Amino acid sequence: MRRTYLAVSVAIFASLLVAAWVTNDTGVKVNDPENNIFIPEELTTTLQVKASYDEENIYFRYRWPVDRPSIFHDVLVYRDGVWEREKGEEIGPSENFLNEDRVAMMIDDGSVPLFSRYGGYITIGDRLSTFTGAPEGGEERTKYLPETRSDPNNFDTVVPQSELDTLREAGYFIDLWQWRSSRSNPIGLGDDGLVAEERSGDQGTGPYYTNWDNELDQPRFMFDPQVTGQNSLNFDDVVAGNYNFDDVYYLSDQTAIAFDPNFEWKNGDTIPRRMLRDTQGSRADVVQPTASRWEDGYWDVTLQRKLDTGNVLDDKIFRDKGSYDLAFSVFKNASTMRWHYVSLPMSLGLETDAQLVAQKFTGENPGWEQDWTEVKMFYPGQISWGRLTDPNLHPGAEGIAQGVPVAYRHSEEQLALYGVEVEFADAIYNQWLWTLFLSLLLIVAMGININLLMIRREH
Amino acid sequence: MAVYHVLVVHFPIALWLTAYLFIALRTFSDAEIFVRLQKSIWPLILLGSLAGAVAYILGLQIYPWSAITQSPLGRNHIMLATWTLSYWTVMGILGFRLRRHLFDGAQKWITFTVGSIGALVVVITGTLGGSLTGTPSLVTKSLSYVGWNVYTTFYVPTWMLVVFALGAILLVALGYIGRKYPD
Repeated sequence: MRRTYLAVSVAIFASLLVAAWVTNDTGVKVNDPENNIFIPEELTTTLQVKASYDEENIYFRYRWPVDRPSIFHDVLVYRDGVWEREKGEEIGPSENFLNEDRVAMMIDDGSVPLFSRYGGYITIGDRLSTFTGAPEGGEERTKYLPETRSDPNNFDTVVPQSELDTLREAGYFIDLWQWRSSRSNPIGLGDDGLVAEERSGDQGTGPYYTNWDNELDQPRFMFDPQVTGQNSLNFDDVVAGNYNFDDVYYLSDQTAIAFDPNFEWKNGDTIPRRMLRDTQGSRADVVQPTASRWEDGYWDVTLQRKLDTGNVLDDKIFRDKGSYDLAFSVFKNASTMRWHYVSLPMSLGLETDAQLVAQKFTGENPGWEQDWTEVKMFYPGQISWGRLTDPNLHPGAEGIAQGVPVAYRHSEEQLALYGVEVEFADAIYNQWLWTLFLSLLLIVAMGININLLMIRREH
Repeated sequence: MAVYHVLVVHFPIALWLTAYLFIALRTFSDAEIFVRLQKSIWPLILLGSLAGAVAYILGLQIYPWSAITQSPLGRNHIMLATWTLSYWTVMGILGFRLRRHLFDGAQKWITFTVGSIGALVVVITGTLGGSLTGTPSLVTKSLSYVGWNVYTTFYVPTWMLVVFALGAILLVALGYIGRKYPD
């Protein structure tokens, strides 16, 4: 009978261990929009990249999987006499698919020493917009580089302008190319920007501006019916994804006319909130050979730029046989802000050894005969540079101080999981402590049990 | 401090796994040599616990507590190391108190089962330590195939914590109730 008790006890103990194993990592990671927490279902994805160049231009081709393309950003919808703005949620994916898809690429030529080792992590400063606990209201708290602050972990400690100018002249900035499916793609443009004391566009004008007249409280433009056959789109069709690349779904100089408030607008009429235009100045450097398309589940985007734009304060200049560092991000599933997928830094060589080798070509356009370079992308969560460099918060801080590259210690999958854990850091820590304490109790209880039940039969 | 932790931690691992080897050999054989070896089981285990305690304390000196407990891998290593140390210490005390009775009749299978769990915990703890120093092994990857990615913190939901507490009470209660019955 005692042995039966003993066997049952061991079975209970083993069952509890199995139950702990099965229920591990549940019950805590719950989306919390009020604290800007939304965990994507998919934590990693893959970006394919190719690069080519000739005597004048460099081309990058990007391809990434997207189940349903999101070709609208924010729109204006007519409802009961009023034009209302409809935009995608900032936290997590937009149910109405009103956040555009995007690809972005950071470029450095070695002037930002930390970038080659830690990539975009160095640009994630103090409580950026949509981070949990970020100050609400006011202007967007964008990415910035550490040296642009007297205290890199304090967003508000921007160094004096003279020092910013000196840093810029020394090349201390990250070139940032962007492609947007709604706000640049329809007219075949990209967007040329940079990250220094903030993330901003290069000098000049960007590919879009806001289609809204504040004084008249109405749109400034609508579709030109003579060119497009319509005055507006239909909101239900926008949400349902019924517009495709054969439709005119964007406003530009070629497709828009001045807004007519006297037109008999009806509920659900929809006009894009962005007017597209040609870019100018340094910001116009990044363009597309042709407008990109989504096909068979993939965006296939090509961006091009002059090797040497002459804008050395905005752009990283490419040179034949040169070596550079890149980091990518892609937006999919109609998500925006920090709900993107990023890469670790990777090296680029123009016909020289690197993780991504740009091939030189002759003729009018790249042949793209080379194989794709696969880049693992991951959801970064809320990992800031301040956290990574703080020895009291990150065991690897000493490694960073010694210059150990992130890729040496962490895989993309690992970083995605860590990024999620940080979003629930306090809750997980408490649950872990309780698990530790009660599991210890269980082990001691098992010991007491065996000690009481094991038979000491004298031979 | 990391190098000393790595240096010392080999001792408890070797001692505990040697003890487990002797438990396994004794479970499956009554040969005289294994009966003799059986006598060294509890000293091996408790020596392992002594070395394990030193390794544990050294391990906690490597990173600030605030930093290591922010790392999922760090938390997991602490969790498993705590389990290992406490589990084998309990095993050592049982070995000391029960001696040869651990292998009396069907009880040897209880001993073998409990010992196997202990050996498994030692192996997982060790592989987590390897992962923490940047050298993950196949064991690390294998754990993810059976439901636990070691790059996520091991914790159980609150209701499971309650079950743990109830389970602990139940085990002690079963012990006291069961011992009233004759052998």
